[in-house]
Amino acid sequence: MKIIEFDGIHRAYRRGEDVLDGVTFDVRKGEVVGLLGRNGAGKTTLLRIAMGMLDPQRGSVRVFGMDPLKRPVEVKRRIGYVSEDQILPDFLRVEEIIRLHEGVYPGWDAALESELIDQFAIPRSARIAELSKGQARQVALICAISHSPELLILDEPAGGLDPAARREFLETSIRMLNETGTTILFSTHYMNDVERLAGRVVLIHRGRILLDSDLDRLHEDYSICLVPFAAGVDIDTLTGLPGCLAARERREAMHAVFSMPPAESAALIEREAGVRGSSCRGSDLEEMFIELVGGQL
Amino acid sequence: MLIVIDTHSGVPVYRQVMDQIRFHVASGLLAPGDELPSTRTLSQQLGVNPMTISKAYSFLEREDVIERRPGRPLVVREVDTDRERRRKVDSLRESLTPVVTTVRQLGIDPALALEELRAMLREEPDIGEETT
Repeated sequence: MKIIEFDGIHRAYRRGEDVLDGVTFDVRKGEVVGLLGRNGAGKTTLLRIAMGMLDPQRGSVRVFGMDPLKRPVEVKRRIGYVSEDQILPDFLRVEEIIRLHEGVYPGWDAALESELIDQFAIPRSARIAELSKGQARQVALICAISHSPELLILDEPAGGLDPAARREFLETSIRMLNETGTTILFSTHYMNDVERLAGRVVLIHRGRILLDSDLDRLHEDYSICLVPFAAGVDIDTLTGLPGCLAARERREAMHAVFSMPPAESAALIEREAGVRGSSCRGSDLEEMFIELVGGQL
Repeated sequence: MLIVIDTHSGVPVYRQVMDQIRFHVASGLLAPGDELPSTRTLSQQLGVNPMTISKAYSFLEREDVIERRPGRPLVVREVDTDRERRRKVDSLRESLTPVVTTVRQLGIDPALALEELRAMLREEPDIGEETT
């Protein structure tokens, strides 16, 4: 079952520059999708479009099969949303904010709420202004998940948090997966968290999807190759090879990303480009991200 | 059950879980009949997606390392000695691959490398304790 459907989403800044230029992908029930991309790649814009906070100028979005702009209440009730720049009113007390949310969302789980409050050790009587950044984010999380939403949309949820608070956030998300089988779409720059949480990654670059892959497949079936300089072979030669996703010139060698396992990539480079001695290997997500984004012309 | 996840290794998390459980079984730390933590418990403990744990468990089940019984915890299977020996040898070969590469890169005489390995095995009797 499709929970979110982005279809040809296009959105430009007021000054006319494209942020998203034809983004299409679905998020299926129970999936955990990590949305990756450089700063300004359009991740927040896309998540806001899913939340019905922005409209796509072209293309369409469906959440639970509905248009979030036309049926905001029905859609939002089933979503938990946390973002880095979310602002909770400073003058309210923790208890008051939580009660406000309880009033809006059906199916509020008071036991879950209490448990999270205890786990995070947040005083209910404290004003938001008195909380640390990490605690304020935790309050936002409690508000976002205590109604056991079917979908969590997290926009840089761990941005600016210390490692311990980040881990607690991650563990709470994992608990949601275990208890309610929540579908999660989250954006982050912490590749560690993506490796732990995501089943699939979608990488947006210059307004388009550069990569959409199962995370395990990305490790097993993709490789980074260091190709020695050779006469008559340049970046264009490499990008022209089948399965080459990115290539760039570095001081010591050319770097290229291929959508095939290391041994196959090395054999392909030797066979098709006539270059021997390439060093190909699988890699972690962080390096893959850097090579993919860095190798775009 | 001690499992350590390294998110920088480039090895998929489900593989890391499988490899370490297999290792625990091979080393005797997990014995036949021992219960494994539930998907949920292990996912919380390791801080990883529960789907990843169930993927690892399904593959281990397919490899006959663990056994699923309806409504009850997963357990380690009785070991088939022949298969187990093959598995241990496979796992050894895998660990030795980088060593072989190093031996070749350094241009060390294979006989010398073997002698070195023998000496190391003699030095650390607690590692070579278990006979296969």
